[in-house]
Amino acid sequence: MLQVSDLKKKFVKYNSKREKEEFYADNGISFQAKEGEIIGILGPNGAGKTTLLRMVAGILEPTSGTISYGNLSFETNGIEIKKDIAYLSGNTKIYQSLSTYELLKMCCDIYGVDKGLIETRIQEIATILEMNSFLYNRIENLSTGQTQRVNIARCLIHDPKYYILDEATTGLDIISSQIILNFIKEEKKRGKTILYSTHYMEEAENICDRVIMVNKGIVIKEGTPAYIKKDTNTTNLRDAFFQLIGDENNEK
Amino acid sequence: MKNNIWNILKKEIREMFRDKKSLTMMLILPLMIPLLVIGMSALFEAQTNKSASEYNHIGFDYKMSAVEKDIAEKVGIKVIHGEKDQLREKYKRDEIDLYITREGNKYTIHGEKNDTTIYATALVETYFSSYKEYLQSEYLVNHHVSPEDVVNIISVDQKVIETENFFANYITNYAFLFIVMAITVSATYPATDTTAGEKERGTLETLLTFPVKSRDIIVGKFLSVSLSSFITGIISLVLTMISLVIANDMFKIYEKVNLMLPLESFVFAIVVIIAYSLLISGLCIAIASTCKTFKEAQSALTPLTFLSFFPSFIAFMTNLESSTLLSMIPFLNFTLLFTDITSGNINYLNILLMFISTIIIIIVILFIIIKQYKSEKVLFN
Repeated sequence: MLQVSDLKKKFVKYNSKREKEEFYADNGISFQAKEGEIIGILGPNGAGKTTLLRMVAGILEPTSGTISYGNLSFETNGIEIKKDIAYLSGNTKIYQSLSTYELLKMCCDIYGVDKGLIETRIQEIATILEMNSFLYNRIENLSTGQTQRVNIARCLIHDPKYYILDEATTGLDIISSQIILNFIKEEKKRGKTILYSTHYMEEAENICDRVIMVNKGIVIKEGTPAYIKKDTNTTNLRDAFFQLIGDENNEK
Repeated sequence: MKNNIWNILKKEIREMFRDKKSLTMMLILPLMIPLLVIGMSALFEAQTNKSASEYNHIGFDYKMSAVEKDIAEKVGIKVIHGEKDQLREKYKRDEIDLYITREGNKYTIHGEKNDTTIYATALVETYFSSYKEYLQSEYLVNHHVSPEDVVNIISVDQKVIETENFFANYITNYAFLFIVMAITVSATYPATDTTAGEKERGTLETLLTFPVKSRDIIVGKFLSVSLSSFITGIISLVLTMISLVIANDMFKIYEKVNLMLPLESFVFAIVVIIAYSLLISGLCIAIASTCKTFKEAQSALTPLTFLSFFPSFIAFMTNLESSTLLSMIPFLNFTLLFTDITSGNINYLNILLMFISTIIIIIVILFIIIKQYKSEKVLFN
């Protein structure tokens, strides 16, 4: 189980007068994610979703708070935890000059996949994602959809327990987006824990078991899509979100 | 840990060898060395073996005696007569190389100092020396004194052995300086690509999600850049040796010298190339990894490129000699040791000190880069 407690991340920026200003991209976020659960992290641009997921993936160090995977934490078991994580974001790029096979082989080596199983595993993933026709082609020569499949294969190759997907469908066409959404559903069936951030509310409503709505670095609502809609007396998550932002602004 | 360094290194090498620009930087620069060695040798030889016909047209504004004409002919002067003003005009039109005027017993050589007049002046001085000797002998004979007793009162023999050939030293030093330059340039491109380039392309984020320690990432990247600069260094060294052997046979200026390095010198030249490749690769990665974009990194590395050439040029131009202290000064030590190696003066202590000091610097540099990569600033600065 993934446990995030009171997670804060402070950044420094310079204002127009070139003076330092500190701000919290995330300010006390807590949640839990269980096996086989898809947690949607929803919020507008600048809400703190990417910073949150980067901290959960171990790319960014939190200013305060704790992240634990089972009984392991990043402070002491960073490398071990990363072996169980797959991180994919809209900005995640892969090595263009490598072939799909070379990339997957490299990932297997790095993630410590048993040497005797590497070939079988690559062929298995290539078959699942229909990549056999371009397995030995360089990634730079692949289409966007094919590249996205390679990216998914990279995440699947070491059979991780946790998926951290940050706006993974942003900027993709409908077919490429569907590939990702199908992949998420399949992995959920296999008991994987998935954190999925998006600003497409409808998408989240369709696939997430629970949703955490974030705005300005804080959680403004958490629960199942049905609960949030009922609680806000709305028919969809988009309306719920706008109502919650309105409430938040009114409270201030 | 070792496995992950190897995994990163394999990835970097694949990327490097598949990138046309990296390959060009690695392989094209050494190809300039044969051009440099052969071209400069040809230039030196052209200057040394200047044909007498290019500087022996000398103007005289007075009527020469039969003896003067005879001496002039013997030393190879082509005599052109004329008035002073006429000779000045001819000189301006490059029809003569110098002209001489006479007032009583005072002779004056006229001309502007350049490559041709240096040779022409030497020729005219030989002429006047012979003519003066003739006049002195004639005077002595008229006064019943044997010229042999006076003119050859002492004799001077030359037994100066040529131990160093100026041109050979110059060309080998220049070629080895070019090896240093080629290694530097060869390190900058892959260092930029593997740090700032990777950041700009968005693959660094992917790399940081892998269960790999910062130390393994940096050491892998460092070794790949070092390999690139080392390959350039070795190709440059081999091409230098081949060019020097060809030049040795091709040009008379190297007639009495052997430009081929002995095996021992070749081996130590490789040691210096290894040390320099490691140092420059570490420095390039350290600087480039602080930059956000490829372009920014290239700008940031330009001063380092100049910094690496500058001490070498100073050492080369001032004929600085290596010492224990100078062997530990980065950049300067490599040029000085190359000069020692090419001249056959291999000092093992200096080479050892250079290697140890370089390794210490590299460890410090790697420590700094690893620290940078542990910090999120490397990705989001």
